[in-house]
Amino acid sequence: MKPAVVFTVYRKELLEMTRDRRTLISMVLVPIIAIPALLGVATFFVSSSQKQAEQEALHIAVARQSAMPGLERALSAAGFKLTPSADPRGAVERKQVAAAAVEGQSDKGEPVVRLYVDASRPGSLVAANKIRAALDGLKAAAIREALAGSGVPEKVLTPFGVEQVDVAPKGKMAKSLIGGMIGYMVILLMFSGCMYPAIDMTAGEKERRTLEILLCSPAGRNEIVLGKILAATTAAFLTALLNVLSLTWAFQSGMMGPEMHKLLEGVHINASAVLLVLVAVFPTAVTAAAVMITISLFAKSFKEGQSYLTPLILLVVFPAMIGMMPGVEAGPKLALLPVFNVTQLIKSIFTGDYTLSSFLLPFASNLAYAAVAFVVAVRIFKREDVLFRS
Amino acid sequence: MIRVEGLTKVFQDKKRGAVRALDQVSFEVKPGEIVGILGPNGAGKTTALRLLATVLKPTQGTAVVAGYDIVREPEMVRSRIGFLSGDMGLYGRLTPREILAFFGRLSGMEPAALKRRSDEVVSMLGMAAYADTRTDKLSTGMRQRAAIGRTIVHDPPVLILDEPSYGLDVPTARLIENFILEARRGGKCILFSTHVMEEAEYLCDRIVVIHEGKVRITGTMEDLRAATGKTRLREIFLDLLNIREEPMEAKA
Repeated sequence: MKPAVVFTVYRKELLEMTRDRRTLISMVLVPIIAIPALLGVATFFVSSSQKQAEQEALHIAVARQSAMPGLERALSAAGFKLTPSADPRGAVERKQVAAAAVEGQSDKGEPVVRLYVDASRPGSLVAANKIRAALDGLKAAAIREALAGSGVPEKVLTPFGVEQVDVAPKGKMAKSLIGGMIGYMVILLMFSGCMYPAIDMTAGEKERRTLEILLCSPAGRNEIVLGKILAATTAAFLTALLNVLSLTWAFQSGMMGPEMHKLLEGVHINASAVLLVLVAVFPTAVTAAAVMITISLFAKSFKEGQSYLTPLILLVVFPAMIGMMPGVEAGPKLALLPVFNVTQLIKSIFTGDYTLSSFLLPFASNLAYAAVAFVVAVRIFKREDVLFRS
Repeated sequence: MIRVEGLTKVFQDKKRGAVRALDQVSFEVKPGEIVGILGPNGAGKTTALRLLATVLKPTQGTAVVAGYDIVREPEMVRSRIGFLSGDMGLYGRLTPREILAFFGRLSGMEPAALKRRSDEVVSMLGMAAYADTRTDKLSTGMRQRAAIGRTIVHDPPVLILDEPSYGLDVPTARLIENFILEARRGGKCILFSTHVMEEAEYLCDRIVVIHEGKVRITGTMEDLRAATGKTRLREIFLDLLNIREEPMEAKA
């Protein structure tokens, strides 16, 4: 093995990568601009649809003639704009109002307030919750009044109070949220950022008939494939780096909308956490590169390579997504599960909830996967039936 | 300079089972000699050239190229050959000069020597005007020059050319012919495959005809004429393959 030859191949691959528009888009443009922008837009839409739902929820219908004393007053006091209607249910169905509250009788003949809601409309669900809160107040007032009439002290209703104390350090929830999201995005984009270069330097070279010429050069197969894996690893790692930096910036700068900004108030992501995340993803970057090089070696053309690797991306999405979810934590066995373990690790780095052993176990297992993937890639690269598949 | 002895290659095919692409092939190419390999499609020409370039391993037999065994010393063999094919195999996103530098470095050339040789090749092939332009922006003729440059940048004593003029127009094919003749004058050992009979007749000192993986005949044009009683290479070739040229009416 001649390191100079490996470096020559590596440098050539990097040079080609920087001149390939597809690679530049997936490696640089998507993590730096597209993903933070998309998240910003998504947050904006969620936030504005919430505002719209709140506005819509203010308009509800009631029966024209109300028999229940205080109902309309309680609803008005809760801020609702009431529309008396002969057909309250129809008014909800026709989307004239968000919900309707109509007093009536249950099957047992007891008084009941029936809520008409359209569960497919967020505004209707918000209205229903608010109506329930207003009715709870009305109910409590009626009970208080009855108790006062019977001479029973009101205190009997609350023999003791309940207080909830959050022991999580300040901002841990927010950090867990950011860690989960960054972990998911980084892993996903790392694989997709590595995909085009990996296909280009294998199936693409086959298609352009340059691979045979390269194999006729004095460079050995080990040196060629090592140079290619290093270049694909660089692409994966660079995508991860840019993605971590741009997402961290996006979360901290407030471009994710006022709700997210409020949630993250006082939360600072330090440089050492970002650095540790990059160390944590490195073995996965090598694995991604080696696996993608191996798979796309079987393809005869760039298109064929894409169709081979797209399912792999989907396969990665699933464990990465589970790892992103708040509350999901990896035990010792799950810490060996590739992709899932690294998203978990990233999350724990951001929350500061990791120990040396909880870091080393997934890290070492991912290093082992990277070594296996590398050995497999070298072996496949030596197979004539794969390189000259016709 | 190239000595092929009983070279055999068997491929395993899922549908057809074991396919004997090359069967006990032997021939020789001396320094300063041009030898052409002729054969119909699937005859085993490309397999033979790939074996000599060590990108494939023989099932049986071996060959010595520039003094090195293709099985035992493949890297030494590769450092002493220049391989060129009709589809050129150029990196479209690199410039001719970058391609020369890349292959020169892979051959272990020192930076100063590589720079000198690269300038020499650029000047020799008249590439100065476009040596720093990406090859995917060049015309076919320009790209073919760049491919020739890549083949000879490390000044190999042996040239292996796989249908180097395939799909080229007459002026560009002429460029290839001149390159081959110039290489012979420089004492190189040249082995090339082609489907163009006129090209083989014009360039080759000796011809090897392969059919169904086996050598049918080896010799000079005179040897081939004497063996078949035919004059033109095209007729000799068809005769050796037992294919008769029939008039169109007869086929109808």
